[in-house]
Amino acid sequence: MVPDSSVFDYFEILEMPELKGVIWLQTVTDALHSKRGWRYYNKLRSLLKDPSHECVLFANEYHVSCYHAREKQTLKKDWEKRIIYAAALWYYKHCGEKIPIIIVADEDSTKRYKVKSKGVYVMTFKEYLNKFYSDLEAAHNSCDFIDEALYEEKLESLEASGINYNKYLPPDILEAGLKSGRYVEGILYVNKHTKMEAFVRVQDTDQSEEDYEILIDGINPRNRALHGDRVAVKMFPESLWKRRMGADHEGYSEYVPTGHVVGITQKHKRDYIVTFPSKEDILYYSRKTKKYLAVPWDYRIPRIRISRKQAEKYQFCRAIIHIDSWDTDSRYPDGHVVGTLGTGGDLEGEMKSLLMEHDISERPFSEAQMGELPVNTAEKPWSVDHEEQDRKDLRKTHLVFTIDPKGCEDVDDALSVRTLSSGNLELGVHIADVTYFVKPKSHLDKEARARATTYYLPDRRYDMLPSVLSSNLCSLLRGVDRYAMSVIWELDMTTYEIKKVWYGRSIIHSTYQLSYEAAQELLDGNLSITGNIEEFQDMEEKEKEDRLQELTWAIEKLADIASHFRAQRGLDGALDLDGIEISVLLDEEKNILDLVPRQQRRIHRMVAECMILANHWVARKIYESFPRQALLRRHPPPRQNLFSELKQSAKAGGFHIDTSSNRALALSLDNAYDVSDPMVNKLLRNMATLAMSNALYFSTGSCREREFHHYGLGLDKYTHFTSPIRRYADIIVHRLLMAAIAEDKTKTELNLLSDRCLEELCDHINERHRAAKLCQRQATELFQCHFFRDKDADRDERCVADGIIYAFRDTAVQLYIPRYGIKGTANLKTKDGCVLHFGANGEKIGWVPGALWRSHKQADCVTSSGQGVTFRIFEHVTVKISVQAQQYHPNSLRLEILSKKPYLDPEARHTPKSSPSPTRELVEENSKENIPEEYRQFQQTKGESLYTLLEEMKNLAIQDISNNL
Amino acid sequence: MAGLELLSDQGYRVDGRRAGELRKIQARMGVFAQADGSAYIEQGNTKALAVVYGPHEIRGSRSRALPDRALVNCQYSSATFSTAERKRRPHGDRKSCELGLQLRQTFEAAILTQLHPRSQIDIYVQVLQADGGTYAACVNAATLAVLDAGIPMRDFVCACSAGFVDGTALTDLSHVEEASGSPQLALALLPASGQIALLEMDARLHEDHLEQVLEAAAQAARGVHTLLDRVVRQHVREASILLGD
Repeated sequence: MVPDSSVFDYFEILEMPELKGVIWLQTVTDALHSKRGWRYYNKLRSLLKDPSHECVLFANEYHVSCYHAREKQTLKKDWEKRIIYAAALWYYKHCGEKIPIIIVADEDSTKRYKVKSKGVYVMTFKEYLNKFYSDLEAAHNSCDFIDEALYEEKLESLEASGINYNKYLPPDILEAGLKSGRYVEGILYVNKHTKMEAFVRVQDTDQSEEDYEILIDGINPRNRALHGDRVAVKMFPESLWKRRMGADHEGYSEYVPTGHVVGITQKHKRDYIVTFPSKEDILYYSRKTKKYLAVPWDYRIPRIRISRKQAEKYQFCRAIIHIDSWDTDSRYPDGHVVGTLGTGGDLEGEMKSLLMEHDISERPFSEAQMGELPVNTAEKPWSVDHEEQDRKDLRKTHLVFTIDPKGCEDVDDALSVRTLSSGNLELGVHIADVTYFVKPKSHLDKEARARATTYYLPDRRYDMLPSVLSSNLCSLLRGVDRYAMSVIWELDMTTYEIKKVWYGRSIIHSTYQLSYEAAQELLDGNLSITGNIEEFQDMEEKEKEDRLQELTWAIEKLADIASHFRAQRGLDGALDLDGIEISVLLDEEKNILDLVPRQQRRIHRMVAECMILANHWVARKIYESFPRQALLRRHPPPRQNLFSELKQSAKAGGFHIDTSSNRALALSLDNAYDVSDPMVNKLLRNMATLAMSNALYFSTGSCREREFHHYGLGLDKYTHFTSPIRRYADIIVHRLLMAAIAEDKTKTELNLLSDRCLEELCDHINERHRAAKLCQRQATELFQCHFFRDKDADRDERCVADGIIYAFRDTAVQLYIPRYGIKGTANLKTKDGCVLHFGANGEKIGWVPGALWRSHKQADCVTSSGQGVTFRIFEHVTVKISVQAQQYHPNSLRLEILSKKPYLDPEARHTPKSSPSPTRELVEENSKENIPEEYRQFQQTKGESLYTLLEEMKNLAIQDISNNL
Repeated sequence: MAGLELLSDQGYRVDGRRAGELRKIQARMGVFAQADGSAYIEQGNTKALAVVYGPHEIRGSRSRALPDRALVNCQYSSATFSTAERKRRPHGDRKSCELGLQLRQTFEAAILTQLHPRSQIDIYVQVLQADGGTYAACVNAATLAVLDAGIPMRDFVCACSAGFVDGTALTDLSHVEEASGSPQLALALLPASGQIALLEMDARLHEDHLEQVLEAAAQAARGVHTLLDRVVRQHVREASILLGD
């Protein structure tokens, strides 16, 4: 046994007479001498002199084959490790390669030198004791004790010293530095996956260059900046630039600039959600400072120190915390509690945390705001004012109808189409006239601006406007007169060329309020659906038929027009991109019934196309009238390096994706269609969507015209006009449009915002939209977790599903589960070097030590016994879904590959089994009682296998013909 | 003497030598063209240069001339940068004078001065880096330089220092060992005859141990002799090859 210099801590154990045969190296004794002083050294000397110990000292540094010069810039510790290892190796050879040599070392060097050569083993002291002196009670006891003491000491030293941040530069120097270009300024983003890494996104001052990112590697260079802060950064010279963590060898291996934070120009002011650890958890407790450490909900925020008094009060709670300060000599910032959200874990509490985290207001509207609303009570219902002279009355002339999701209350868009006397078509898009009720600078307006958007969560909604407006007075409900903003086009009857556009305020009367499903049925010519449409229920048979015909014609015509415009946009490079969206089915008690991916039908596209058309034309109009202060929406082209994963995956699947322009991308995505597996195309599209940058609102005065382009839609100008009930940007656009068409400009233009104000507003709206999107996503994930949490992952059939591999990571595969719309990673290799092992039938057997090779096309797991398994891209596997519970952070889903075969439906698998085991029956019976009635029904209707079979047959037929041709 | 262990239990010294080991010696003769003889020596980290002029007429006052033998004039200096702490002046201080005198005594004993009556031999020695055993290095360098000048000598003069730690004699002390304050002895030997040219010790040492230390120093000096002899032969061989063609 050769001890390392780290074992001095265990010296008293080494002094025990039972431990024999220790080779002390000169390197180690020297280190002992310099670190611990004479007393220990003399102890060691007497130990060596005592023949009963059978210890020797080997002067390895004086031995020609054991000495290595310490290279420049290597730490003494590393050098010591190396030289000790070399000496042990020499000793092993010296003893005729017969006696194994064991190096006893601390943990990190154990990891580093493990299994490097035969005959020399590296292990920690604990392991050593366990292996060779397992019966030596006293040694084990003291070892445990010492371990504990060491751990505490380490924590304390971490807390107290170790970290010493640089002071921030004074503001005047900072400003001068920023102006001269010595420092650059940007917003700090912490990497979600590795806390140690952060980026500063720098917007170049001269607009010619693209934005670039500076890597802030480690805690010290970040210098106490938090996620979201606007910081000043000093760049390091090029020699210190680094590769990005996680970037694989074949991928973009370019070096990115690095730097360190010299000052914070603007703090990201917000409060954080934290969880307090339990009292027993000494890990987060420091005796010296009398502070506890609370763990933030967000992974990207460091732990926060809270005074002990407060911490004890809020044990196990989710609490809201305000960060007060962060001293240069403290590892963590100080904070205090400002409120609590209840204990973690339940759905309501988690939702509250989510809202808080995204700064979403759930306050009710104040009285002053409600006071501005028009009166609408049962006795005194609100009605349109017939004195409004300048409104175009469309009530009698136009057939207006709305198409929305089922149960939708805030209907803000309506459609109409009719044939003019000249034979041309007239298409109308009518949008709820919110600006009539929400006057500029009113309380309501201010509140709406602050909220900026309505937040849709799986089980609830936070409105931007009070419900009186959003679901009643503004909402274009069936059978009542409503104010609207209309855009009406006159189209050529055959070519659908736009001849004339009219914008203006109107009064409409919606006749039908259709759901997407009903409209789709009508479009498909399935007239039996009429029984479900309320409007037709109390009508004469004859009249009903006429009306139905009229409506069907309108919808068909609209679909036709829409597809024409869609095709036109396609030529300009519009992309067909769908994100994967999941809707959560809930019952009355808000229990989660099921998760279903949302479906995109033709009717959805038709409505969307009409809205895009309206938005586009409004954008043209307001830009024409106000070239310097119009609010438009742009979608910058994505950065090419973000496409690399898509390209690699597609290439591995045998497709080529051209990302040079949006047109090329759209074309190549259309071509990348695998006849045997339609999911492949969907996945590729989804990956393309992920690579896109976000669309943004902007003021035309702040941007050059060529940057107005909307990449995804392939339009040169675009804005949001069609949903004023749930988006504040649309309200602004409405006001702009009103000003643009008003005859008396002086009056209306007073209410318009200047370019500068508009830009600020845009930033705010963009930020809120991002928060809304993120919140929605996280809420969906939350619901997913809750759905699977109560299920027993080992027994419940619903926790097993079919997954498709779409990318490879270092030790894992990325999977997409179409059944639930879940994306995630499944491990192929564990941290201790075990890989998945499959039996001959493709079923998983367990984890065995082995190795993993991966390329972009496939990953091979090879066990140490030589059996291997290969995963190819776009391969179907069976996946088990379970929930990984976490105390401090939101729960997450864990995926596990169960079998290499595609997942078959439970019914299909169970049929051959004639007699299920009695225990299984019992389990099934028990579980049946817990499942609500509706769900059981649902499960029975899940006959997917036959459908897929038919689908396959269809595809085969297509293939045959093409082959014959 | 806390803090340093000059000789470990295993018999190693601070720099890894055994008790009787010498430091690495490297030397060159004939390093300057304009001098009659010159040499450069490295003993471990101690580096010294020696230059010899003469025998020539007495310079300065003629009264110093000796009627029956040559006058040996030695000057010792050590570079200002030679020690860890920078020296103020390179020569002329008491220590330099003393070392100069010691050198003179040494070489008067070694050089056949009676062959050059009424003339003068100058030996200038400069220490470039002092890491213990400066006197020994100077003597060894000067020997080589005198040999290079072709001045007849009885024998090589080989010098070495020795110390005494924990009942063991250490040879060729380094600066660290010298500074520890243990007794230290400098010996200049004429190896062939075993005669002692100079023996100097300025600390107390029990008489019983003296023999042991002296023997260790003499042994080391003989070791130095073989090394120097090799250097001289190498130099002569190179010189003869140059003259040969």
